[in-house]
Amino acid sequence: METEFTEAYQRTSAEGRETECEKVANILDLVIDGEASTDEQHFFNSHIEECVSCFESHQKQKLLKSIISGHLKRVIVPDRLATSIKARIQETV
Amino acid sequence: MSEQTGKQLSKEEKDARFEAELLPVLAPLYNFAYRLTLDEDDANDLVQETYLKAYRFFDYFEQGTNAKAWLFRILKNSFINEFRKKSKQPAKVDYSEVEGYYNTDDVEGEGGVATTTDMRTESVQDLIGDEVASALNALPVDFRTVIILCDLEGFTYEEMAKILDIPIGTVRSRLHRARNSLKEKLEEYAKSMGYNS
Ligand SMILES: [Zn+2]
Repeated sequence: METEFTEAYQRTSAEGRETECEKVANILDLVIDGEASTDEQHFFNSHIEECVSCFESHQKQKLLKSIISGHLKRVIVPDRLATSIKARIQETV
Repeated sequence: MSEQTGKQLSKEEKDARFEAELLPVLAPLYNFAYRLTLDEDDANDLVQETYLKAYRFFDYFEQGTNAKAWLFRILKNSFINEFRKKSKQPAKVDYSEVEGYYNTDDVEGEGGVATTTDMRTESVQDLIGDEVASALNALPVDFRTVIILCDLEGFTYEEMAKILDIPIGTVRSRLHRARNSLKEKLEEYAKSMGYNS
Protein backbone atom coordinates (compact mmCIF):
# COMPACT_ATOMS: atom_id res chain seq x y z
CA MET A 1 0.00 0.00 0.00
CA GLU A 2 1.57 3.25 -1.13
CA THR A 3 0.47 6.36 0.66
CA GLU A 4 0.84 9.89 -0.58
CA PHE A 5 3.34 10.38 2.16
CA THR A 6 5.73 7.67 0.99
CA GLU A 7 5.38 8.71 -2.61
CA ALA A 8 6.55 12.15 -1.68
CA TYR A 9 9.76 10.59 -0.44
CA GLN A 10 10.33 8.10 -3.25
CA ARG A 11 14.00 7.73 -3.90
CA THR A 12 14.64 8.95 -7.39
CA SER A 13 18.18 10.30 -7.16
CA ALA A 14 21.09 10.70 -4.82
CA GLU A 15 19.49 13.87 -3.62
CA GLY A 16 16.21 12.12 -3.05
CA ARG A 17 17.96 9.56 -0.90
CA GLU A 18 19.39 12.30 1.28
CA THR A 19 15.96 13.70 1.87
CA GLU A 20 14.64 10.32 2.93
CA CYS A 21 17.40 9.79 5.49
CA GLU A 22 16.88 13.29 6.79
CA LYS A 23 13.21 12.62 7.22
CA VAL A 24 13.95 9.37 9.02
CA ALA A 25 16.32 11.17 11.40
CA ASN A 26 13.60 13.70 12.09
CA ILE A 27 11.00 11.13 13.08
CA LEU A 28 13.34 8.67 14.78
CA ASP A 29 12.42 9.80 18.29
CA LEU A 30 8.72 9.70 17.42
CA VAL A 31 9.09 6.10 16.28
CA ILE A 32 11.09 5.09 19.35
CA ASP A 33 8.57 6.70 21.67
CA GLY A 34 5.51 5.30 19.91
CA GLU A 35 4.39 8.77 18.86
CA ALA A 36 4.66 8.39 15.08
CA SER A 37 1.56 8.45 12.91
CA THR A 38 0.66 5.40 10.82
CA ASP A 39 2.05 7.05 7.70
CA GLU A 40 5.26 8.03 9.42
CA GLN A 41 5.68 4.54 10.83
CA HIS A 42 5.05 2.98 7.44
CA PHE A 43 7.54 5.27 5.74
CA PHE A 44 10.09 4.62 8.46
CA ASN A 45 9.77 0.85 8.29
CA SER A 46 10.15 0.65 4.55
CA HIS A 47 13.14 2.98 4.60
CA ILE A 48 15.14 1.12 7.23
CA GLU A 49 14.59 -2.12 5.37
CA GLU A 50 16.82 -0.74 2.64
CA CYS A 51 19.06 1.77 4.37
CA VAL A 52 21.75 0.29 6.61
CA SER A 53 22.81 3.55 8.21
CA CYS A 54 19.28 4.51 9.25
CA PHE A 55 18.70 0.93 10.42
CA GLU A 56 21.75 1.26 12.67
CA SER A 57 20.67 4.65 13.99
CA HIS A 58 17.36 3.09 14.89
CA GLN A 59 19.03 0.19 16.73
CA LYS A 60 21.21 2.58 18.71
CA GLN A 61 18.37 4.85 19.68
CA LYS A 62 16.24 1.89 20.77
CA LEU A 63 19.14 0.60 22.83
CA LEU A 64 19.58 3.96 24.54
CA LYS A 65 15.95 4.03 25.57
CA SER A 66 16.04 0.46 26.84
CA ILE A 67 19.16 1.20 28.89
CA ILE A 68 17.26 3.85 30.80
CA SER A 69 14.08 1.88 31.23
CA GLY A 70 15.88 -1.36 32.03
CA HIS A 71 19.09 -0.47 33.82
CA LEU A 72 18.45 2.73 35.73
CA LYS A 73 17.99 1.83 39.35
CA ARG A 74 14.96 3.24 41.07
CA VAL A 75 15.79 4.81 44.38
CA ILE A 76 14.10 3.23 47.35
CA VAL A 77 11.40 5.31 48.99
CA PRO A 78 12.21 5.95 52.69
CA ASP A 79 9.93 3.89 54.93
CA ARG A 80 8.67 6.82 56.91
CA LEU A 81 7.72 9.02 53.98
CA ALA A 82 4.20 7.67 53.40
CA THR A 83 3.49 7.69 57.14
CA SER A 84 4.65 11.24 57.57
CA ILE A 85 2.63 12.44 54.57
CA LYS A 86 -0.48 10.82 56.02
CA ALA A 87 0.22 12.38 59.41
CA ARG A 88 0.66 15.86 57.98
CA ILE A 89 -2.54 15.51 56.03
CA GLN A 90 -4.46 14.44 59.12
CA GLU A 91 -3.33 17.66 60.79
CA THR A 92 -4.50 19.72 57.84
CA VAL A 93 -8.07 20.90 58.15
CA MET B 1 -24.54 27.81 43.31
CA SER B 2 -22.10 25.26 42.09
CA GLU B 3 -22.02 21.52 41.88
CA GLN B 4 -18.88 21.29 43.94
CA THR B 5 -20.39 22.83 47.07
CA GLY B 6 -23.21 20.31 46.73
CA LYS B 7 -20.98 17.26 46.97
CA GLN B 8 -18.58 18.48 49.59
CA LEU B 9 -16.74 15.56 51.04
CA SER B 10 -16.23 15.01 54.72
CA LYS B 11 -12.62 15.09 55.84
CA GLU B 12 -12.64 11.33 56.27
CA GLU B 13 -13.94 10.80 52.73
CA LYS B 14 -11.49 13.27 51.30
CA ASP B 15 -8.56 11.70 53.13
CA ALA B 16 -9.58 8.23 52.02
CA ARG B 17 -9.89 9.28 48.40
CA PHE B 18 -6.62 11.17 48.59
CA GLU B 19 -4.79 8.15 49.91
CA ALA B 20 -6.37 5.76 47.45
CA GLU B 21 -5.78 7.86 44.36
CA LEU B 22 -2.61 9.80 45.01
CA LEU B 23 -0.45 7.79 47.40
CA PRO B 24 0.14 4.96 44.88
CA VAL B 25 2.20 7.47 42.88
CA LEU B 26 4.60 7.91 45.81
CA ALA B 27 7.40 5.69 44.48
CA PRO B 28 7.69 7.21 40.98
CA LEU B 29 7.23 10.67 42.46
CA TYR B 30 10.01 10.20 45.00
CA ASN B 31 12.20 8.79 42.27
CA PHE B 32 11.56 11.84 40.10
CA ALA B 33 12.28 14.17 43.03
CA TYR B 34 15.52 12.38 43.71
CA ARG B 35 16.61 12.61 40.08
CA LEU B 36 15.90 16.34 40.12
CA THR B 37 17.57 17.20 43.43
CA LEU B 38 20.13 14.38 43.62
CA ASP B 39 19.72 14.44 47.39
CA GLU B 40 17.60 12.14 49.55
CA ASP B 41 16.59 14.74 52.14
CA ASP B 42 15.70 17.28 49.50
CA ALA B 43 13.71 14.70 47.59
CA ASN B 44 11.92 13.84 50.80
CA ASP B 45 10.99 17.49 51.43
CA LEU B 46 9.94 18.05 47.85
CA VAL B 47 7.63 15.05 47.85
CA GLN B 48 6.02 16.03 51.16
CA GLU B 49 5.47 19.54 49.88
CA THR B 50 3.96 18.17 46.69
CA TYR B 51 1.47 16.01 48.57
CA LEU B 52 0.48 18.86 50.87
CA LYS B 53 -0.17 21.09 47.87
CA ALA B 54 -2.08 18.33 46.16
CA TYR B 55 -4.18 17.93 49.29
CA ARG B 56 -4.95 21.63 49.37
CA PHE B 57 -6.04 21.57 45.73
CA PHE B 58 -7.61 18.15 45.82
CA ASP B 59 -11.09 19.60 45.20
CA TYR B 60 -9.88 20.65 41.77
CA PHE B 61 -8.63 17.21 40.95
CA GLU B 62 -11.15 15.29 38.90
CA GLN B 63 -11.54 11.70 39.87
CA GLY B 64 -10.33 9.28 37.24
CA THR B 65 -8.03 11.78 35.52
CA ASN B 66 -4.31 11.32 35.33
CA ALA B 67 -3.20 11.52 38.97
CA LYS B 68 0.38 10.70 38.12
CA ALA B 69 0.75 13.51 35.58
CA TRP B 70 -0.98 15.93 37.95
CA LEU B 71 1.39 15.14 40.83
CA PHE B 72 4.45 15.25 38.62
CA ARG B 73 3.37 18.70 37.44
CA ILE B 74 2.95 19.99 40.98
CA LEU B 75 6.32 18.58 41.99
CA LYS B 76 8.10 20.06 39.01
CA ASN B 77 6.57 23.48 39.73
CA SER B 78 7.56 23.30 43.38
CA PHE B 79 11.05 22.38 42.35
CA ILE B 80 11.36 25.34 40.00
CA ASN B 81 9.60 27.95 42.10
CA GLU B 82 10.86 27.22 45.56
CA PHE B 83 13.52 24.64 45.57
CA ARG B 84 15.81 26.03 42.91
CA LYS B 85 15.64 29.45 44.56
CA LYS B 86 16.61 28.04 47.94
CA SER B 87 19.63 26.18 46.68
CA LYS B 88 21.32 29.28 45.34
CA GLN B 89 22.80 27.36 42.45
CA PRO B 90 22.86 29.44 39.31
CA ALA B 91 20.95 27.98 36.42
CA LYS B 92 23.58 26.65 34.06
CA VAL B 93 22.21 27.35 30.63
CA ASP B 94 18.81 28.34 29.38
CA TYR B 95 18.12 25.58 26.93
CA SER B 96 15.08 27.29 25.53
CA GLU B 97 17.54 29.57 23.76
CA VAL B 98 19.13 26.80 21.81
CA GLU B 99 16.41 24.27 21.34
CA GLY B 100 14.62 26.37 18.75
CA TYR B 101 17.28 25.39 16.26
CA TYR B 102 16.36 21.76 16.30
CA ASN B 103 14.62 21.72 12.97
CA THR B 104 17.30 23.59 11.12
CA ASP B 105 20.81 22.52 11.91
CA ASP B 106 20.68 19.84 14.53
CA VAL B 107 19.27 16.98 12.57
CA GLU B 108 21.27 16.61 9.44
CA GLY B 109 20.72 13.28 7.87
CA GLU B 110 21.62 10.32 9.97
CA GLY B 111 24.53 12.30 11.45
CA GLY B 112 22.07 14.23 13.57
CA VAL B 113 21.09 11.12 15.41
CA ALA B 114 24.16 8.96 15.37
CA THR B 115 26.92 10.90 17.05
CA THR B 116 30.38 10.87 15.60
CA THR B 117 31.77 8.47 18.13
CA ASP B 118 30.65 4.92 17.85
CA MET B 119 28.34 3.59 20.49
CA ARG B 120 29.20 -0.07 20.51
CA THR B 121 26.14 -2.07 21.18
CA GLU B 122 27.71 -4.80 23.28
CA SER B 123 29.88 -2.52 25.39
CA VAL B 124 27.13 -0.16 26.40
CA GLN B 125 24.88 -3.04 27.25
CA ASP B 126 27.47 -4.14 29.74
CA LEU B 127 27.23 -0.91 31.65
CA ILE B 128 25.49 -1.47 34.90
CA GLY B 129 22.93 0.65 36.67
CA ASP B 130 25.39 2.85 38.53
CA GLU B 131 27.09 4.04 35.37
CA VAL B 132 23.77 4.74 33.72
CA ALA B 133 22.73 6.76 36.77
CA SER B 134 26.01 8.69 36.80
CA ALA B 135 25.68 9.50 33.13
CA LEU B 136 22.13 10.68 33.64
CA ASN B 137 22.99 12.71 36.74
CA ALA B 138 25.74 14.48 34.84
CA LEU B 139 23.18 16.01 32.48
CA PRO B 140 21.59 19.43 33.07
CA VAL B 141 18.37 19.14 35.04
CA ASP B 142 16.11 19.99 32.08
CA PHE B 143 17.63 17.16 30.08
CA ARG B 144 17.44 14.72 32.97
CA THR B 145 13.82 15.59 33.43
CA VAL B 146 12.64 14.76 29.92
CA ILE B 147 14.54 11.49 29.88
CA ILE B 148 13.04 10.40 33.19
CA LEU B 149 9.54 11.39 32.16
CA CYS B 150 9.73 9.73 28.77
CA ASP B 151 11.97 6.70 29.10
CA LEU B 152 11.50 5.75 32.72
CA GLU B 153 7.94 6.84 33.47
CA GLY B 154 6.53 6.37 29.99
CA PHE B 155 4.65 9.66 29.75
CA THR B 156 3.45 10.66 26.28
CA TYR B 157 4.72 13.84 24.64
CA GLU B 158 1.37 15.45 25.34
CA GLU B 159 1.52 14.58 29.03
CA MET B 160 5.10 15.83 29.20
CA ALA B 161 4.05 19.11 27.59
CA LYS B 162 1.44 19.55 30.30
CA ILE B 163 3.76 18.58 33.14
CA LEU B 164 6.49 20.93 31.94
CA ASP B 165 4.30 23.75 30.58
CA ILE B 166 6.05 23.76 27.24
CA PRO B 167 4.82 23.08 23.67
CA ILE B 168 5.10 19.57 22.27
CA GLY B 169 7.69 20.79 19.73
CA THR B 170 9.87 21.87 22.63
CA VAL B 171 9.39 18.50 24.32
CA ARG B 172 10.64 16.83 21.15
CA SER B 173 13.66 19.05 20.68
CA ARG B 174 14.65 18.91 24.33
CA LEU B 175 14.34 15.14 24.36
CA HIS B 176 16.42 14.88 21.22
CA ARG B 177 19.20 17.01 22.68
CA ALA B 178 19.02 15.22 26.00
CA ARG B 179 19.45 11.85 24.31
CA ASN B 180 22.43 13.06 22.33
CA SER B 181 24.08 14.31 25.51
CA LEU B 182 23.32 11.10 27.34
CA LYS B 183 24.74 9.09 24.47
CA GLU B 184 27.98 11.05 24.68
CA LYS B 185 28.21 10.50 28.44
CA LEU B 186 27.61 6.79 28.10
CA GLU B 187 30.25 6.54 25.43
CA GLU B 188 32.70 8.31 27.73
CA TYR B 189 31.97 5.79 30.45
CA ALA B 190 32.29 2.90 28.05
CA LYS B 191 35.67 4.18 26.95
CA SER B 192 36.91 4.84 30.47
CA MET B 193 36.01 1.29 31.36
CA GLY B 194 38.23 0.00 28.63
CA TYR B 195 35.64 -0.94 26.07
CA ASN B 196 37.26 1.28 23.54
CA SER B 197 39.04 -1.26 21.37
ZN1 LIG C 1 18.56 6.25 5.40
